[in-house]
Amino acid sequence: MKKIMLLGLCLFLLPVWINAEEVKKEEVKVFGVYSNKRSPDNHYIPSGWMGDYGDIKINDEFSANPHSGANCIQFVYSAKKSNNQGWAGVYWQNPANNWGAKSGGFDLSGMTKLTFWARGAKGGEVIDKVIVGGIKGVYPDSDEIGMGPIVLTKEWQQYTVNLAEKNLSFISGGFGWVMNADSNAEGAEFYLDDIKYEADASIKPEVKGAEKMPFYVYLDRGSVSNHYIPSGWMGDYGDIKLDVGSLEDPYMGNTCIKTAYSGKGAQGARWAGIYWQNPANNWGEKPGGYDLSNAAKLTFWARGGKGGERIEEFKTGGLFGEYSDSDTASIGPVILTKDWKEYTIDLKGKDFSSIIGGFCWATNVDVNPEGATFYLDEIRYE
Amino acid sequence: MQKKFKLVIVITAILFVVMALFVFVRIKLLRHKVFVKKTKEGRYHLVVEGKPYFIKGVCYNPAPIGEGYDYDLGQDKCQPWLIDGKMMSEAGVNTIRLYKSSDNHNGLKKAIGDFYEKYGIRTALGHWLGFWEYPQPFYADPEFRERIKKEVLGMVKTYKDEKGILFWILGNENNYSFSGRVNPWVCPEADKAEVSEQANIRAKIYYSFVNEIACEIHKIDPNHPVVLGNGELGYLDVANKFCPDIDIVGILIYRGKTFGNIFNGLKSIFDKPLLLVEFGADSYNSFKKQEDQEMQSFFLEAQWKEIYKNSGFAKDGAGNCLGGFIFEWSDEWWKHNSDNSLNWEIHDTEAGWSQGAYYFDNKAEKNLNMNEEWFGIVGVSEEKESEVNKRLPRKAYYMLKKMWENSSSK
Repeated sequence: MKKIMLLGLCLFLLPVWINAEEVKKEEVKVFGVYSNKRSPDNHYIPSGWMGDYGDIKINDEFSANPHSGANCIQFVYSAKKSNNQGWAGVYWQNPANNWGAKSGGFDLSGMTKLTFWARGAKGGEVIDKVIVGGIKGVYPDSDEIGMGPIVLTKEWQQYTVNLAEKNLSFISGGFGWVMNADSNAEGAEFYLDDIKYEADASIKPEVKGAEKMPFYVYLDRGSVSNHYIPSGWMGDYGDIKLDVGSLEDPYMGNTCIKTAYSGKGAQGARWAGIYWQNPANNWGEKPGGYDLSNAAKLTFWARGGKGGERIEEFKTGGLFGEYSDSDTASIGPVILTKDWKEYTIDLKGKDFSSIIGGFCWATNVDVNPEGATFYLDEIRYE
Repeated sequence: MQKKFKLVIVITAILFVVMALFVFVRIKLLRHKVFVKKTKEGRYHLVVEGKPYFIKGVCYNPAPIGEGYDYDLGQDKCQPWLIDGKMMSEAGVNTIRLYKSSDNHNGLKKAIGDFYEKYGIRTALGHWLGFWEYPQPFYADPEFRERIKKEVLGMVKTYKDEKGILFWILGNENNYSFSGRVNPWVCPEADKAEVSEQANIRAKIYYSFVNEIACEIHKIDPNHPVVLGNGELGYLDVANKFCPDIDIVGILIYRGKTFGNIFNGLKSIFDKPLLLVEFGADSYNSFKKQEDQEMQSFFLEAQWKEIYKNSGFAKDGAGNCLGGFIFEWSDEWWKHNSDNSLNWEIHDTEAGWSQGAYYFDNKAEKNLNMNEEWFGIVGVSEEKESEVNKRLPRKAYYMLKKMWENSSSK
């Protein structure tokens, strides 16, 4: 009799258990960016082409070897620098072509991650960064989250952008990628599939700790170990020619940085310099940079084209804005020799927990009346 | 036997009285001595009248509209300090910084005395050490050094017994001359050295000179500390070796809402108490092209919180900050294009320099966002009261008043 009662109770509770499982499944909310061509789950449009947009070709119904469904998106990036930018990228926007001038987008509060699948045609293709949000303008996105660089493999791999505790209340730039010609000198062909937001309660906010040493500002042209971008051109910026892939006798590896400063005074400042920044063009007005608390020094190698070139200052940190660098250190003036020589900026006692300006040089025409050509290599924190 | 006993009692009594007198005199003397105390936890306090003293200061140079760089407070017959002292006292200011002495010693003594007697406000008196003299200062020249030293010691002798004097400040960003970019000076020893060493040689010469003066001041006036006025932390590693006898490092710094790592940074290169002898924010928004009192108040509030957080009074922080002097009490209308006296009656809105850390208006043309004539926490009006340009307190004045009223370090 007891067995019959127990069986009856189990049969009574079974639908309840099944229903609970269903609810659990329903709780895993998903919001699609792209799943398949013409899928009703696609909520954003890959309309925001950036940089050398002429270098990009897209096929959004590429049917060979998709990760799932009938097709995936194929991108071919030629790296021909058709707009002289040296980089290119695509934003998925809502509505199409919305750079913040229109209302739109979605409230994605509660989503804790964005996942996507990607593969390269050959493997080794480098995506600098994938982005969630970050559209500016009159209707700016409520947050900007980036992840990268990513080195693609030939096989499909899933990648995750942690969004836990980010402000996703207004996102019109649903997804984006950026790559550059230095890291992909021969161009790149790659594929994306199943780009979606997920509300996964198990995802905890990312704790960004101090970077491990050595930490490179510049290793070689296009290296994924490079962490800052030489985007902060100052003073007579028209006097500067910069080649981050110079083959002229690099100190180590395949390339070094060649800088030719003419001293002609294109902007009338009589001085010039370059800051390596993160992200590019960040003068302290937005978050970024790295925690370099583990660094005891910054070292780099330098030589002059002729010898005798004078650099007034080599510097790290020292960008001031709403998100100022936490400290600064410098050496100089330095007279360069014709042969490679190592220089060190001591960071002992400094607070390098937040550094947007990873490296900088500055000089002037008074000490280089005929200009100066000089080379830098192996810029790294140790 | 009884006689001997009586003698012992008398001698003991005399000794007791002498000792009590000695202790009393010592306490009395110590009460007049201003000094720096380092706690066993390594935190610094300035001690005044036997109590820790937190400097809530303003830089003070109340040049009236129409007057210029040669304004001399001691010669100002309008006695603006009687108006300013009252307002300062109401806001909680306890110290002013004067950049220089006066050609009229009695006039300046009167100002210092009035500030102290009427409003309880003390004075930090400074000397440029010849930094703005032309030809440029020759810190490597024995004659120049001797002349400047004589001037400084003369100032100390003249004012050291004024009750309101708190300490002496030597120099004001003079370290910016070491690289040769500001007020370069001839230095044969540096000129023949390697380029990379030239600035350090100049630093060594300059800081040795300051140290020499500091030692002499201590001999003449053991009651008041000596402060080195330095631009940021530049070359203080050299000062650590060649200027050990200064008592306090005074920093001039303009970095927006945060001073960054200067408090711990100083500890690691030159473990002396830190005083912000000049910092602040202007109240003119060069981007919007209008006065912006909110902007100034925002930065000053953030800066002041950081000063307090790193003071000896706070629980955490570096514990080495003695307080600060806001630049400045009142606007000075002569500062932009200061050589053109026709401009001294105009409140210029043109910015003179750029600092991205003041980020509300650094998108102004050419990023020029720092307006020298708008740094006062009180503005000045062409309208006069008691022959003094009327004071117009800005939002920052009221913000500081509120903050200092609630401060535990009165």
